[in-house]
Amino acid sequence: MKNIYRPFEAVIEDIKEETAAIKTFTLRPKEDFSFATGQFIELTIPGVGEGPFTPSSDPGIKQNLDVTIMRAGRITAKLHAMKKGDSLGIRGPYGVGYPLDKFKGRDIVIVGGGVGLAPLRSLLFALFSDIQSYNKVVLRYGSRSPADIVYKDSIPEWAKKEKVDVLVSVDVGAPDWDGKVGLVTTILDGMPVDLNKAVAIVCGPPIMMKFVTLKLLDLGFKPEDIYLSMEKNMSCGLGKCGHCRVGKYYACKDGPVFTYDKLKDMHDIWD
Amino acid sequence: MKTYFIEGQNLIKFYNRIAESYDLYVPKKIESPSAVKCEYGVKLPEGDYALKKYSQIGGDEIIFNDYRTIEPVRLFFTHFKEKVCDYFNGAESESSGAKPPAICGLKNCDLFALKIQDYVFLEGNEVDPFYKARRESALIISGDCPNFKEVCFCRAFDIDPFATKGFDFNLSPLNDGYLVDAASEKAQDIVNSIKEILLPANFGQLSGRSAKRESVIKRMDEHLSRHQIPKKEILKEIVTAGLNSKVWQEQMQTCVECGACVFGCDTCHCFLLTDEGHKDTAERLRVWDGCLYKNFTTVAGGANPLKMRYMRLRNRYIKKFDFFIDNLGFQACCGCGRCIEVCPGKIDIRYILKRLHDEKYLSAV
Repeated sequence: MKNIYRPFEAVIEDIKEETAAIKTFTLRPKEDFSFATGQFIELTIPGVGEGPFTPSSDPGIKQNLDVTIMRAGRITAKLHAMKKGDSLGIRGPYGVGYPLDKFKGRDIVIVGGGVGLAPLRSLLFALFSDIQSYNKVVLRYGSRSPADIVYKDSIPEWAKKEKVDVLVSVDVGAPDWDGKVGLVTTILDGMPVDLNKAVAIVCGPPIMMKFVTLKLLDLGFKPEDIYLSMEKNMSCGLGKCGHCRVGKYYACKDGPVFTYDKLKDMHDIWD
Repeated sequence: MKTYFIEGQNLIKFYNRIAESYDLYVPKKIESPSAVKCEYGVKLPEGDYALKKYSQIGGDEIIFNDYRTIEPVRLFFTHFKEKVCDYFNGAESESSGAKPPAICGLKNCDLFALKIQDYVFLEGNEVDPFYKARRESALIISGDCPNFKEVCFCRAFDIDPFATKGFDFNLSPLNDGYLVDAASEKAQDIVNSIKEILLPANFGQLSGRSAKRESVIKRMDEHLSRHQIPKKEILKEIVTAGLNSKVWQEQMQTCVECGACVFGCDTCHCFLLTDEGHKDTAERLRVWDGCLYKNFTTVAGGANPLKMRYMRLRNRYIKKFDFFIDNLGFQACCGCGRCIEVCPGKIDIRYILKRLHDEKYLSAV
């Protein structure tokens, strides 16, 4: 019988430094592996432990996957110290991912904050590969400072694509920054979208998601059209260990993406 | 299901037969470190029982436990700490060929709790292979409760102090012996091999058992009437209505965050996957975890949705009486009272539920 706790091996093929605290790891799984955009994996350092991360690469690519990781705690500090050729473990993919079918024919607003752009990058790739199915893609990205922006080379490329509208803002500017300055909520006004057919997908730190959600509601988005990433403390990823309960759901099994209508009546969801 | 009668003196032969095929655990009387006295002055038993390996206890120590043991039954199915895998080069460990467990002395509260453990570990997207192997191979030998402890409150949630399903064997003490229900093929195989000591039960014995069961229910209901524990139908309502109740902070004053309530609990199931060793010796362990611990929900970076102790206490009630009722249709509490008697802070689930009830229904606001 399958051992649900046992990871399979993946080798680090490449490491790209995105910012001082964020790296993108390209992993080559030694077993067949694929994921749907928005699903997450449990990434293991043998002998150290594991943590949940959402792949940031194109789900259409099968031979490898990217995971963009900010150094924030015990596991991520160890991950940041790893080198090309080192082995990691993967379990998953887990969770339900983004419901692309529901997005078809609609205006898609994607709002990212900081390293929260990682799962959204995977979503963007999935949308780009089938762009004729969607009406429009609007990306709004906020970062603390110009130096903290992830995927610096890719964002201008995305902005050039047909049907894609991109705007980036930073909380605090810099001498060489000539873009927008202000919290990400300040660049949500005047988006070129038809509210009757728009959906919004948000990922970032909890405080950012809270205010972006309130702003989107103000703009007229319906709660069931706002998709939020609820990334909680998780251990098993399987809906058994009990850590990531969100109301009557588990973030790992029923999420990690929830529409706001499922969350709005719960207490303390932004903590 | 067939019912037999066994003479008390033959119980040892019955156990010996089971021990041939199973790794048998039986209840043993032990000194009780922390009995809860009845504040209403009713004389209730204070001794305790623990499950011990049958092979390690003497013949004169073999007893029938009048009420549940001190440890939760899940201990046999998800061990407190166990290795669940090696890493990439290690071979998947196969079963060692050891005998499956036979667990004697379980009560109806324990069987109720197993329904919650089964839901967690056998249902959903994935099945826990360790739990499944043990659960399927184990022989469950439950027994009626001819008595109860001060903290027992199964009947408050309409759980009877005797079992009618969920076991392989059930023992009901009667006169100088026991009625033995054999409910499974595994049980019937054992019965067939020791027919000489198991006589089909007669009508008189069966009605004798019913009368005894009724009498325990009556005594227990009378005891519980003093505690005024809310009925199971309104548990979800009062817990969700009481999110901002003062009872959480008040009751948390004496909590020392020892986790005894969750580790003693029959229905708690939370665990943590953790790693030990380094590189070639690295292995993954699954250890019991509990939501009363400070870092249960802390994420990398330090944010913690359950940062205050009262939030963690409340979380435990939301999980048991809101989450499980939503997902499974019934509460994750079997009324065994273990959390009450192990708590050094004297935090009492019966009192908290009653308070929540009173605040919802009797408050003047």
